Amino acid sequence: MYLKVELPWNVLIPPENLDAKGLMLQRAIIVRLMDDFAVRKATKDHGYFLALTSLNSIGEGKVRQDSGGVLFPVVFSCITFKPFKGEILKGVVSKVMKQGVFLTCGPVENIYIPALTMPDFQYVQGENPVFMNDSLSKIDSGVTLRFVVMGTKWIESKREFQVLGSLKLDFLGPV
Amino acid sequence: MSGQEEEENAAELKIGDEFLKAKCLMNCEVALILDRKYEQLQQMSDDPMNQVSQVFEKSLQYVKRFSRYTNPDAVRQVREILSRYQLAEFELCVLGNLCPETVEEAIAMVPSIKSRGRTHEDEAIEKMLNDLSLIKKFE
Repeated sequence: MYLKVELPWNVLIPPENLDAKGLMLQRAIIVRLMDDFAVRKATKDHGYFLALTSLNSIGEGKVRQDSGGVLFPVVFSCITFKPFKGEILKGVVSKVMKQGVFLTCGPVENIYIPALTMPDFQYVQGENPVFMNDSLSKIDSGVTLRFVVMGTKWIESKREFQVLGSLKLDFLGPV
Repeated sequence: MSGQEEEENAAELKIGDEFLKAKCLMNCEVALILDRKYEQLQQMSDDPMNQVSQVFEKSLQYVKRFSRYTNPDAVRQVREILSRYQLAEFELCVLGNLCPETVEEAIAMVPSIKSRGRTHEDEAIEKMLNDLSLIKKFE
C-alpha cells in the first residue's frame, strides 16, 4: 500500500554550508534531506521511500562538538510503499522456475510465489518455461498477477523487503 | 492474546494503529504526485532520470501501469465516492486499485468490509461498484 506519512528526522549540515544565513541555510537543509531520503531507501517500519512532498518544520539546530556541523530536527511529509500481510496486490512476473515464480511490484523486487500455492497451474518446461492451467491461462514473464501477501521479511543489509505471495484465494491469478 | 501482540493481517484490517491513521493513497493518486515531481525535476535538470532514486523510478512505472483512472478529476471523484461508504483508508485504496467488478470479488479483495458486524449490505457494495464503473465510462 502507498502511504502518506509524516516523519521527524535529523539533518546534519556541515560547517561549510553554514556561512550564508536565511534562505541559503534552508536550501542546504532541503538538499541534504533529499539526499538522505534517497540514500536511506527504505525502513522496516515505513517501507520504501518514494518522494518527499513537503517540509513541515525546521527546529533549532544543535552544534555537534566533533565536526562543528549543525544538527537540525525536521518534520516532513513523504510517500512510502509498504507491503502488508494479507494485502492483495498486482505484480509483474520477472522469472518463471519449476518451484515457483518471481514478481516485482513497484519498488519491491523480490516477491516469490511458490508453485505449491498455485495448484491449478502446471509447469510447462521449455526454453521459455511457463505455468498454464486448464483454461489455458498462462503465467509467463511480463504477465500481471494478482496475488495475496502471505508474509514479508525485512533484509537489513540490503534495506529491502522480501515478500512471500500466494494465489490460493478466489479471484487471484493472471489479469 | 493481547491487542498489541496480534499479528498483522490486512485482510482483517490489522495493520497497526499507526497505519490505520496514516493516509493511504491509491495508485492513480501516487501517479499524479510522482508525475508532478518528475516534471519539476525536468525543469531543473536536463537529465531528470539521473536525479531520481531507483525506488522513485520503479514506483512511477508501476503506478502508471496500474492506475485505472488517469484524469485528475476522475481520481478525485473516485475518492469522494468511495469515502461515502464508511470504509477505512486501507479498504478504500484497495478497492480503488483493484476495481472489482462483482460484489463477490469485492469481498474477496477486502474481506474486512463484511466482517465484525459492519453494515455493508450487498446492495450497498453493488451500488458502490456501479458508481465506480460510471466514473470510468465518463472519464
